[in-house]
Amino acid sequence: MEKLSKEKKSCGLSVLQTTSDSKLETHLNSCVKCGLCSSSCMFYMTFKEKKYIPGYKVAVVRSIYQRYNTFLGKHLPKISGARDLDEKQCEEMIDLFFGSCTMCGRCVKHCSIGVDIPFIVRKGREMLAEMDMIPKTLQSTVDAALTTGNNMGIPTEEFVDTIEWMEEELQDEMGDPNAGIFLDKENKDVFYTLNPREPKFFPLSISAMAKIFYAANESWTISSTRYDITNYGFFNGKNSEAATIARNLYNEVLRLNGKRLVLGECGHGSRATRWEGPNLIKQTYKVDTITVVELIAEYIRNGKIKLDKTKNNVPVTIHDPCNLVRNGGLLGEIRFVVKNAVSELIEMNPCGNENFCCGGGGGMLAMSEYNDRRLKIGEIKANQIKASGAKIVITPCHNCVDQLMQLNHQYKLNVSIKTIAEIVADALVFEPKNEKKSDE
Amino acid sequence: MANIEIEGKIFEVDGDGFLVDPAIWNEEVAALFAKADGIENMNENHWAVVKIIRNNFEEKGNAPMVRTICKETGLKLKDIYELFPLGPARGACKIAGLPKPDGCV
Repeated sequence: MEKLSKEKKSCGLSVLQTTSDSKLETHLNSCVKCGLCSSSCMFYMTFKEKKYIPGYKVAVVRSIYQRYNTFLGKHLPKISGARDLDEKQCEEMIDLFFGSCTMCGRCVKHCSIGVDIPFIVRKGREMLAEMDMIPKTLQSTVDAALTTGNNMGIPTEEFVDTIEWMEEELQDEMGDPNAGIFLDKENKDVFYTLNPREPKFFPLSISAMAKIFYAANESWTISSTRYDITNYGFFNGKNSEAATIARNLYNEVLRLNGKRLVLGECGHGSRATRWEGPNLIKQTYKVDTITVVELIAEYIRNGKIKLDKTKNNVPVTIHDPCNLVRNGGLLGEIRFVVKNAVSELIEMNPCGNENFCCGGGGGMLAMSEYNDRRLKIGEIKANQIKASGAKIVITPCHNCVDQLMQLNHQYKLNVSIKTIAEIVADALVFEPKNEKKSDE
Repeated sequence: MANIEIEGKIFEVDGDGFLVDPAIWNEEVAALFAKADGIENMNENHWAVVKIIRNNFEEKGNAPMVRTICKETGLKLKDIYELFPLGPARGACKIAGLPKPDGCV
């Protein structure tokens, strides 16, 4: 790495000098170095090296903080253990904060005093972002979202063509020319969102969800230009970019006057939009925002859709996306939906709030730089799936789906990976006299 | 960047195993990459998919929608996923010598 310029260094340090963020100082100074976090982390469990202990990541940020912000650190850095921010330190930070943390938050659950370690890791990423040190592959995903409106750079006409194709398939399957996937309609009850990998490569989850909306007689729409639920600005450490992406989506909901913003099956996107979004754009959302898992649960509870669980009669297991379960509280809702849609559910051990990440979170899946590492830590998840004996793994997150597909291939698991919409659509029962109102 | 060796031939690839220099791609390279991913013999459907992806890349600089792949080959989605267990991106685009697409793939 070239020598760190004075300007860049001061940009990086500015992240630690903000006076509006008491959380940072509190959490940096609270770690008591008990080491309980080590056995919770997939990286440490896999590689058994000290640098992978989550608390070590906190120590790195703390020691830099000390060096430039405390009396002892400024004057007696050697005694206080304070570290210089130089190019060698930056290299370590890139490797630790981008290359060996999926921001899964499992360490927080195991921390004896609840230090928000992923928050500290994110501060580390913010420092690196300020110094232009974001891994190229991660940044290109953010750039695609900023310049084209979706993180895969799909042109609108190609998106529309795919949606029309899925619509035709839906109409054929339902035997109803009024069944539809409605683009850019105003004043609908549901403004639905997608992960761009659905239209680009895996559109069956779009038609599955359309089928559920059809069964529930929902009034819904998708924007043809702002449908992307992902927000990789949540991972690259540039809050301004995360805010722009969140604002673009929110403004589109307002433009089309959607009553409810329904977040497609995407862990980090749900978090970045629903829980972090209002903070990012510094505005309270005027529309209700819920995940599609909760919406489907609502349909089941209200009898808006009917499911026959015998239609899914092979054993399934659930992979809990960290951002939706440990960090989002959807543990019960996911199980409520899945139990209504399948005959046999076998839980992984551990699962729920204690679940292991798929290995692809925190932007890892987008960063080719760390592919080997990602697949190695994923062995923990692969072994869990194997031990469950399930034939289908259900997960409401397309990022997890992709990582699980790779684990399936690499570790020869011989399972299929499905989203919640896909498994629910397979279980749908249509009443013989099911009259549909036209949505047009 | 890393090198992988397939049947005695060495290729420079990114961390995900995608070819670094798409220009050195040819059918022999495709067959070798397919083998490395567990596809011993490319059949005519494999080739049809790979060629459409390759043509799209050469014309437009990116991977085609799976819609385009289905339309032009006449294959069903299910067939594509069976032909390439890693999916159109990590499976087929890699064999076609494209850079890894952005996003959750």
